[in-house]
Amino acid sequence: MLADASRAPNVAIEFEGVGLTFTSQSDAPTVALKDVHCRIEPGKVTALIGPSGCGKSTLLQIARGFLDPTRGRLRFVEIASGKATGRPAMATVWQAFNLFPWLTVIENVAFGLELAGVRRAERETRARKAIAAVDLSGFENRFPRQLSGGMRQRVGIARALVMQPEVLLLDEPFGALDAQTRLVLQEQLARLVETSGTTAILVTHSIEEAILLADKIVVMTARPGRIAEVIDVHLPRPRTFATTHEPEYAALFDRIYGMLRDEVMRAMIIESEGLKA
Amino acid sequence: MTPLVESDDADVPHRPWVWYDDPRVLGWGSVALVILVWEMSARISGVSPLYLPRPTQIIVALIEMFRAGGLIIDLGWTLWRIFAGFGVAVVVGTALGIWIATSPRVRAIADMFIAMLYPLPKVTLIPLLVIWLGTGGPFMLTISFLGAIFPIVINTVLGVRQCDPGLVLAARDLGATPQQIVRRVLLPSAIPSIFAGIRLGLGVSIILVVAAEMVVGKLGLGARLYLSGQILETEQVFAVLIVLATLGIVVTKLQDFIDLKLGRWRLS
Repeated sequence: MLADASRAPNVAIEFEGVGLTFTSQSDAPTVALKDVHCRIEPGKVTALIGPSGCGKSTLLQIARGFLDPTRGRLRFVEIASGKATGRPAMATVWQAFNLFPWLTVIENVAFGLELAGVRRAERETRARKAIAAVDLSGFENRFPRQLSGGMRQRVGIARALVMQPEVLLLDEPFGALDAQTRLVLQEQLARLVETSGTTAILVTHSIEEAILLADKIVVMTARPGRIAEVIDVHLPRPRTFATTHEPEYAALFDRIYGMLRDEVMRAMIIESEGLKA
Repeated sequence: MTPLVESDDADVPHRPWVWYDDPRVLGWGSVALVILVWEMSARISGVSPLYLPRPTQIIVALIEMFRAGGLIIDLGWTLWRIFAGFGVAVVVGTALGIWIATSPRVRAIADMFIAMLYPLPKVTLIPLLVIWLGTGGPFMLTISFLGAIFPIVINTVLGVRQCDPGLVLAARDLGATPQQIVRRVLLPSAIPSIFAGIRLGLGVSIILVVAAEMVVGKLGLGARLYLSGQILETEQVFAVLIVLATLGIVVTKLQDFIDLKLGRWRLS
């Protein structure tokens, strides 16, 4: 339902030597990202994984255009022609959900369409479809406060998907949820992303989430954030919880965990030194 | 023995409900009791109605003032003066508050003026305003406006600044223009705080208009109150006070009602 054949994603996002240094008057400048080269393939899911403070969310904000890199550049390349093009339509799913508490579920989902001037009848139809796609039919007129955390994030997913974005940005979408809710939502999101065929960038702390959802996993280092390794995931789709029993899954998990453990240790040392200073 | 349980839920089954537990019965009942005691003690002690008229005398005076004394006209004037200035203050105050909250430059300028003018008791401005504006409509409008504007501006700024930045990001992500962010995100998220400001502001407006009427007015509840006191018509003084108290109750209940309607999402 959410797939739109006329707008199949065909724009790759290329980070070319992207760096970002935050300067402030009081503190020494912080190098958040350094020399990031990375290509986000259209129609694929790319996961960014790394220790806290490695700048993976910052990278997402740069892709969205909310932050400008201080070095390097971001390019959008049309695959068919190889020409540079403008920023494709994007929509974000947030860790903190960021639902408007004074709007009902359907009003939240239809918010972006309303801003874009879509007529009432059409936006209600589209919002209801998106709500049904995340199994929340019947909750259209509830307020976010009346829903559980998992249900709220499903509203967040519907609110992003209803915009039919070419690129879906997932900023630790399940970071605030309990482990069981997380499992169920991961499966649901994997299915939605597969059927919609959209390009997706997933920022996550969870190796499991990265393997279940992504076609490509970008492992990042601790501050300054750099790309340590890019790993392709060839596990067959649809992936479900059963996928976690595959030997290939275990091998991937161990490999990523091995890299991350060292980086997390390094991040902890950097952090504790920062506190001492 | 069971241990003492403090929770209301645990309490309820043990104690049967009695009719006087109803808060309305308790509230209205005690008011009625005070009036009854007042009436009886005034009758028995024979105190001069010049000092303390009996409630029944006050009621008679009140009805008489409404019937033949033109009190309804005074009430109309006072309400008009309060709400004209207050209405302007709501619109201007909210707009100004949003502007201050969203622009650091405007905030730097406005902070100074607010810091100087806000703590100043507004009644002290009455002499100056009379010199500038006389005692007519513009004066009353200004005094009511000045009473309401500060609480409204300050609470609007507070409400807008407390808006979750995540909501602003989410709106930007969904394609909101800066104007749409103000109208569709900052304003609604500040509504509870703005309403608190409006509530405070209306209270100050009422006080100021009545006080101004006492000083300069020939018409209006404040003027009526002052004149009645001058000629020792104590029943009439009480009658005007009853009208003012009733006005306060009506205004408060009306605001409660609007709050409830607008704040549906805050209730679970």
